[in-house]
Amino acid sequence: MKKIETTLTSLKSDIAAFYKQELHHFMVMNAVEVADKIEVQWFFSDYAYLCETTCFFTLIDPAEKIPSIKDIVVSAWVAEAELVDLMNINIENTAKGFVLEPDFESGPLRKKK
Amino acid sequence: MAKQYEIPIGAQHISLLEPLHFKFTTENEKIVKTDANVYYVHRGIEQACCSKFKFRQVSFVVGRVCGLCSISHTTAYSQVAEKLVKIEVPKRAKYLRMLVIELDRIHSHLLCLSHVAENSGFEALFMKTMQYREFSMELLEAVCGNRIQYDFSIVGGVARDLKPQVAQSIIERLKKFVPQLDELMDIYKNNWTLSLKNKGAGAITKEDAMRLNVVGPFARAAGLAVDVRNETEDLLPWKEVGYEMITETSGDVYARNIVRLRELYVSIRIIENIINGLPETPLITETKAFPDGEATVRLEAPRGELFYYAKGNKTQVLERLKIKAPTFSNVAAMAEAFTGNEYGSVPAIIASYDPCLSCTAR
Repeated sequence: MKKIETTLTSLKSDIAAFYKQELHHFMVMNAVEVADKIEVQWFFSDYAYLCETTCFFTLIDPAEKIPSIKDIVVSAWVAEAELVDLMNINIENTAKGFVLEPDFESGPLRKKK
Repeated sequence: MAKQYEIPIGAQHISLLEPLHFKFTTENEKIVKTDANVYYVHRGIEQACCSKFKFRQVSFVVGRVCGLCSISHTTAYSQVAEKLVKIEVPKRAKYLRMLVIELDRIHSHLLCLSHVAENSGFEALFMKTMQYREFSMELLEAVCGNRIQYDFSIVGGVARDLKPQVAQSIIERLKKFVPQLDELMDIYKNNWTLSLKNKGAGAITKEDAMRLNVVGPFARAAGLAVDVRNETEDLLPWKEVGYEMITETSGDVYARNIVRLRELYVSIRIIENIINGLPETPLITETKAFPDGEATVRLEAPRGELFYYAKGNKTQVLERLKIKAPTFSNVAAMAEAFTGNEYGSVPAIIASYDPCLSCTAR
């Protein structure tokens, strides 16, 4: 797995420069708690033999708003909606309630402090 | 503009096998817009795997993510855990994992095909396909001990060996299945009424499949040659045992049926090659190491690419486990592919997606 560090300000331009829909396949987003921060990850794989998995990542404060990549990767709305519900993070133009019922515990995958 | 109607379907509906909810906006009978909601069964499995279970126990937990592709989950998890503890699995274990994955693919594809037939109004073909599928369930039970949710792959290798009489039985049953598969291929390919229902229904183009990052038979039916078995060799040596990429071009329900049927011939060849060339090595690599660092694994489940991410912290319990099921990648395309179709085609189209919400919502 190739990991590429990015920032919230350069995220969209970094992914736009990397992602070619004929060459790459967007897989999923993920988030991992690292002390008081959250590492947000975007996973891509190649349409190729032998395929490499590429992960863009950035460390954020839990309250920070993350830019959406929907305008670069159309299908990313599903991964963004899932992460908003399960990890209770903010992603631009993404509402809660796709994965979980409105009265469900917020961010069930976050570690209990 | 004609008057528009909103028609909901699901989460509980006679033509749905899974708790999906779609809201169709139609003009007369034609679908012009679809809203999808696919999550009604979130079970918190990832959280449980990172808090309640030790990393060796997790392979048994993820086997319960899905009843249909349980072996894909246990194998993908075992592989990601093996990366974290840095061990190489014996070759016999790799071959046996591939054998069970392909047996699983046979039963899963036949289940999907039977439901497409049923939702297309062809009850007799549904029953015939389910009848022919039964042998694969019996073989899975003979190999793994269970008809579903097989705890076969474990961290380091596999839990059971293949007995010679079971291997012989697999070869004999597959030989009997080939003419049955020929018969199914003939019906799904040439039956006039089924063609009327399935040709052109729920079609997506190769460009749409690429744009929406579709995976599995859904993508291959549209001509997008994406299959993890064709892209990785290190964890499971697919090309060594006769893997071949299958694609169609029309991207409709008919093409998805044909891709699944053609893939069954490949699965049969792979299983025969595995049994004829099964390496004589131990079944498991033992280790006392704890998982450390982070790793990812991709594996081709019957519905497409399954992805596992795991992070260890040198303790018995994982720091983070992320599961991405194939249906998750197809949700965006599932919603789009209805547009322009008649509402009456919806049940067959949904069945042809072969959605697994149990995997997706976890």
